[in-house]
Amino acid sequence: MLVLMTADSTYDLESTAPATKEELLGRIAQGDQAAFGELYDQIAPRVLGLVKRLLVDHAQSEEVTQEIFLEIWQTATRYEAKRGGASTWIMTMAHRRAVDRIRASQAGRDRDTKIGIRDLVAPYDHVSETVEVRIEHERVKKAMSRLTELQREAVSLAYYGGFSHSEVAERLQIPLGTVKTRLSDGMIRLRDELGVAS
Amino acid sequence: MTEKKPNPADLSGAYALNALGADEKADYEAYLAGSDEARTEAAELGDTALALGLAADPVQPSAGLKANLMAQLASTPQLSPLPVPEAAPADQATPADQATPEAGVVVTAVAPPAAASAEPSTRRSAAADRAQRRWFQRPAGMLAAAAAAVALFVGGTVVGQALNPNQFEQQQAARLAEINAAPDSQRAATTTTDGHPATLVWSGELGLSALMIKDLPALASDEDYQLWYMNDDGAVPAGTFDSTGSGTVWRVLEGTMHAGDQVGVTVEPQGGSPQPTSAPIVAIQS
Repeated sequence: MLVLMTADSTYDLESTAPATKEELLGRIAQGDQAAFGELYDQIAPRVLGLVKRLLVDHAQSEEVTQEIFLEIWQTATRYEAKRGGASTWIMTMAHRRAVDRIRASQAGRDRDTKIGIRDLVAPYDHVSETVEVRIEHERVKKAMSRLTELQREAVSLAYYGGFSHSEVAERLQIPLGTVKTRLSDGMIRLRDELGVAS
Repeated sequence: MTEKKPNPADLSGAYALNALGADEKADYEAYLAGSDEARTEAAELGDTALALGLAADPVQPSAGLKANLMAQLASTPQLSPLPVPEAAPADQATPADQATPEAGVVVTAVAPPAAASAEPSTRRSAAADRAQRRWFQRPAGMLAAAAAAVALFVGGTVVGQALNPNQFEQQQAARLAEINAAPDSQRAATTTTDGHPATLVWSGELGLSALMIKDLPALASDEDYQLWYMNDDGAVPAGTFDSTGSGTVWRVLEGTMHAGDQVGVTVEPQGGSPQPTSAPIVAIQS
């Protein structure tokens, strides 16, 4: 199993007992509603935080967050711990649903007119309340700073902007192949900087 | 140095960032299925993307969101686990694709209008039966999972005419999920003339509705069930479907629902009619 070396351990605090998200998903798969409530409490602010980062609009973001948690409820039966951590599973789903919303609806266009592209790609725009989050921001920010500016721009547009690689190519007016390379090189660099290993 | 063929390995970053279109994503996952090394990298880059996700500022949801969710659990069916043959590496594909609806298919016996000859209803398996049993027990649920699928529609209008059965199911499931998640989602229940339980869910805001009927009898092969929106101006056709005779069949109606419309079902010659030619077997007021 793959472990994100530092980020997740900050939250799971396995020794001091709140059930891990993996355990909770196992119980949810059995129809355990209390486990679902517990998982929600643990991760809903992170899910909504990411969704809102992409969609901007609060009401829409709550709506999508609701869909995400219903999907978690419905598909916990198909989560397999051996394929990856629960947080990755959930946040990947959250990102996908937010992007689906952008691509399927008016939401994306509304968002694009509401805010400039520069705001879209700057992930550190607030002073965070908690120490953990701030540490994490610092870690990611530092890792991001090791990318070339072009890599950073492409990765940010794709992830925080929710743009497909061809949309990124279009916006930056560069060939698609170049975008693919920047995204892959950028992610591999980030992986190494963050110490994500199998 | 020129490449003639695109190298799938180039897509690892875009894949981890969820920046691929549906086709490329499927291609990449096929590539992953055949390579241990690529799967390891995909998992690592997936965890890297997680770090980006966790770096977004947390936002506290409104209190109502949790209450609302908890209230929906009892009526929301859980999918049956994917049957996982433990053997071939090819079967362990698609680490990030847990949400495909193919196995626990709850959409049964629904033939897409443009591909009416294809018969998705023939796909039966233990898993599908199991999923269906759950669906009986909690008929008011939804299949949000499949909304994951692709954005096949824009603004409530079907794009593209000749969807294959699988795309059609995904699209239907995605729309049902939308209806259920809409803030103004409502439902009403009744029975058909033969006494089969029927439930209508709708959202006036979306202008969409879906009808589910339990154990609706199978029809002769030259007949179809046809859906209608009915109001003072008459009946507007809203799609056809068939039924295997057991399980819950459901269908999101085509077209736009208007406030106060009745939803009805009639038995029509195969392919449907421009206007009803028989009395409705069920009618529900939205």
